[in-house]
Amino acid sequence: MGGETPRVALIQFPGSNCEWETKRAAEAAGIACDVFRWNRPAAALSEYDGYIIGGGFSYQDRVRSGVIAAKEPIVKTVFDEVTEHGKPLVGICNGAQVMVESGLVPGLKVGRVQMALAPNAPDPSGRIAQFCCRWVYLKLACEPSRCVFTGKYQPREVIPIPIAHAEGRFTTKDPEVIEALRENDQIVFQYCDADGKIDESREVCPNGGMANMAGICNPEGNAMAIMPHPERASFLRQIPYETAGKWGENKLAAHGDVAAQNAPGPGLAVFISMLEALKARVPV
Amino acid sequence: MQIDERRLPVSTMDDEQLGEFMDENGVGLSVDEARKIAGFLGRDPTFTEMHIFNVEWSEHCSYKSSGAVLKKYLHTTGPNVMLGPEEDAGIVFFTEFEGKRYGIVIAHESHNHPSQVLPREGAATGIGGIVRDVDCMGARVIATADPLRFGNPQGENAERTKWIVDGVVEGIWQYGNALGVPNLAGDVYFSDTFDDNCVVNVVALGIVAEEDIIHSAAPPQAADEPHVMILVGKPTDDSGFGGSAFASKILDEEEQAEDRGAVQVDDPFLKNVLLMRKANEAVRDAAKEQGIVIGVKDIGGGGLACGSSELPQAGGFGVEIDLEAVHVALPEMLPETICCAETQERYLLVVPEGFADTVLRIYNEDWDLPNIYEGARASIIGRITTEKNYRLKYQGKIVAECPIDEVTAGISYDRAAEPYEFAGGEPEFDMPDIEAALLEVLADCNGCSRAYIFRAYDSEVQGHAVIRPGEAGAGVMVPLDDCDAAMALAVDGNPFYSDISPYWGGVNAVAEAMRNVAAVGAVPQAMTDCLNFGNPEKPQAFWEFDESVRGLSDAAKNIWLKGYEDTPVPIISGNVSFYNESATGSSVSPSPIIACIGTMPDYSVAVTMQLKAAGDKLYMIGPRKDELGGSGYYRALGHGPGPNVPIVDFELHRNMIYAITDAIQAGHIAACTDISDGGLLVAVSEMMLGSYAKGQLGVSMDLSDVETALRLDKWLFSESGGFVMEVKAGHEDAVAEIMAEYGVELTCLGEVTEESKLAINADDLQAELALDDIRHAWADSLAEILS
Repeated sequence: MGGETPRVALIQFPGSNCEWETKRAAEAAGIACDVFRWNRPAAALSEYDGYIIGGGFSYQDRVRSGVIAAKEPIVKTVFDEVTEHGKPLVGICNGAQVMVESGLVPGLKVGRVQMALAPNAPDPSGRIAQFCCRWVYLKLACEPSRCVFTGKYQPREVIPIPIAHAEGRFTTKDPEVIEALRENDQIVFQYCDADGKIDESREVCPNGGMANMAGICNPEGNAMAIMPHPERASFLRQIPYETAGKWGENKLAAHGDVAAQNAPGPGLAVFISMLEALKARVPV
Repeated sequence: MQIDERRLPVSTMDDEQLGEFMDENGVGLSVDEARKIAGFLGRDPTFTEMHIFNVEWSEHCSYKSSGAVLKKYLHTTGPNVMLGPEEDAGIVFFTEFEGKRYGIVIAHESHNHPSQVLPREGAATGIGGIVRDVDCMGARVIATADPLRFGNPQGENAERTKWIVDGVVEGIWQYGNALGVPNLAGDVYFSDTFDDNCVVNVVALGIVAEEDIIHSAAPPQAADEPHVMILVGKPTDDSGFGGSAFASKILDEEEQAEDRGAVQVDDPFLKNVLLMRKANEAVRDAAKEQGIVIGVKDIGGGGLACGSSELPQAGGFGVEIDLEAVHVALPEMLPETICCAETQERYLLVVPEGFADTVLRIYNEDWDLPNIYEGARASIIGRITTEKNYRLKYQGKIVAECPIDEVTAGISYDRAAEPYEFAGGEPEFDMPDIEAALLEVLADCNGCSRAYIFRAYDSEVQGHAVIRPGEAGAGVMVPLDDCDAAMALAVDGNPFYSDISPYWGGVNAVAEAMRNVAAVGAVPQAMTDCLNFGNPEKPQAFWEFDESVRGLSDAAKNIWLKGYEDTPVPIISGNVSFYNESATGSSVSPSPIIACIGTMPDYSVAVTMQLKAAGDKLYMIGPRKDELGGSGYYRALGHGPGPNVPIVDFELHRNMIYAITDAIQAGHIAACTDISDGGLLVAVSEMMLGSYAKGQLGVSMDLSDVETALRLDKWLFSESGGFVMEVKAGHEDAVAEIMAEYGVELTCLGEVTEESKLAINADDLQAELALDDIRHAWADSLAEILS
């Protein structure tokens, strides 16, 4: 499409439900963003500079979350643009599930499904596994420059962010996949406590995912699948007052200061990083 | 065309035969009602007509027992009301932004009977129905709230109660989360009186610009230009057939298996494509662009019969419908089933004939309904007529033909009311150990944290949340992008007060909902009432209803709308649910449940309940009185409820609410909560813990200057309405000034401390509790009780 402002397509499936806040976050970062309905001609997608697949329950989570959407023609087009032309793609929550089901991530063997986003593990207290919506902390696990969506974060930065999913546990039956992810520095975000400490407790790792994984990228670093919702932490206003650490202090200090609360939150850097990468990208 | 010969033989049967005949056909009309119908038709009613009047004259659809009481007491208008309770949802003014006037749309319903027999589906379709009510006004749906009343999870029917709790919570999250509507508020009570009848209410909110409001009426243009009726959504099947009639009868354990057929089947996926800024909004946008007025109504209770008669009737028209044009899921359906099934995820539109193709294209092609759900689509099913007649055709016959005003007029009864006195005496006991007592109250199933339940609900979707469930007594959101005006929502209704006095139960529901909204800094603007009661044909149960409505009305009229002297806070929408009674005759506690909407111009000053900074002073307003009737304290200690239910001093409440909202909006307050269930000590405990129960700051209470005739334990646990607030350092004088201006007495309770403990120093009591003990009692109990 050219022009100065990079333009991304936000893929809308039947059952998507985070289109508008995701578009808003992308636009706040300076990206032009169109919501692209699933049954529009897929060819039009090639015109875009990058892609977002947002949250929701595409195709009602039939069979498994994300698996039906992963077979849609438009996802095939996005897949090709990402793998063949190096365009960036972030999948958030249900979008992450679609990416895993289409074999875009971990992408060690392109197109092969090597992982799953399984139902959240039961709580050690015996509580039945079900949908969980709460704020957690993430630590940037890879080098900021490793992935298109993390360039604007500090190394090892800890951020508060909300999760809202029933099937968000990154898992694989193949231990070599985890090894390869570590080796390639493909683990982008890990669940941690407010101080950045990583442990397996359900308090810290809300779904029991392997290696506390919350977000991973493909080997090329241009596609990231993330379960928590950066678009719901894109303005300081959205951060709960109960948050610990730097962002909690910022929030408390901004009480009564509406301009400060309308300023960016910790999730916006995902989209700002994307913008920077789009601007710097040389078309392949 | 011939009138269908399948008839209800009113003219040839005697009363007994007629009653039996209707019974056998699953019709709940009385013999008198059947004869009345035959009277105005001038012939025996067809089967289809019989079933139509069965739903139209059900309690659920006709408000036949409640209408007179609601009319007598409720104040539904006001300077900020954009639409009162006459349509599917009420609308209250929210804010002006970019040259437009925006309103908050609110609807509130019960789904009690279905949730008792099929908890997951019952709760899910509850949300499904209420969001349609809000959407069809032209609004974007922005939030839901869920007031829930369950049986005793530690009582005789514990296992069934837990099954119902699990199913209801699952239904709420599976539907609401998948649809993409955040949960903003809710409350949960457990009591034996709900063992056989849970109460599952649901509130939905939307936002709409005044110029975009769509009415549930055929537009006036239909007088001059042909208009058609379009049915959109799921293919009609036989699900929910008799649902409204089912909701209007007593629940019989033995009939539950067959009653399950009356519960509708939910589909949040199809609803998502219709409603969440997708297909319906595309139709509205297209109409607006072409300057076309349309009428839209959701199809809920009463099915197609209800929607297809009310929509034209409200515009002063009639309708002629071809039931063969209705897209159906089953072969060879009977006309009465097509008419009266309560198949979910359907809407009716009335549009100009020339615009119909556009509507069909948007639904059937752009948004691809037939491929989203088998058999779903938009179909033209009839045409609007200027004669005020309701005519249904099917397979070459007229299956219903009746003056349309008769179909929708409903029926009204004057029910007898018989008062009774609460019999229990005030419990007498020695003052217990305060530390142990507090832990008991906090660990009680009605005193502990609700996080176990609300963490399953998505409170973040749409990205507008400012204060979430658990962070305060009201949720707060900014529903318009780039606009700083905020809306708050709270739901309340304490069944233990209503057990003692239905009147004061009603009053307290209103007062507490308003306090919860005020405690975040928002000014109460409007309310809805969902009234859940027993069998209205029983005079004592009907008296409970009458008293409750009188109570909530008195509170609404006397705690005036801020800025308008002597003006009630309007009640702009609501619902009545009767027959919440089991076959053995036990009915639910009178349960008037109030949802209150508040507004504030700047969200950034809104406060949560959690303490913010050591050294800040803690203050209370609202004097403690001997009002522990129905209190959490008496319950946790195993004492009888006692008669002294909190008496709301209207003038004091008005002034407290005005003062606290002034103080918060001026930025003087760091944290605030209202005093209600469990009293002052529970309020302070929750302030220390916060919604995640991770708080570390403690409180040192110094009560040596407090003058009271009450025994100290009663003072600490009294449920007299009030507020506790943490005042920002240096703002104490400003707060004192605001309170003085409203004549509200300020009591200093002590201060926030670094030490993680609650310390109480009074003349004759020194108590100290580690915050970790308080945390464990409050945060972990519900999971233990319910698993």
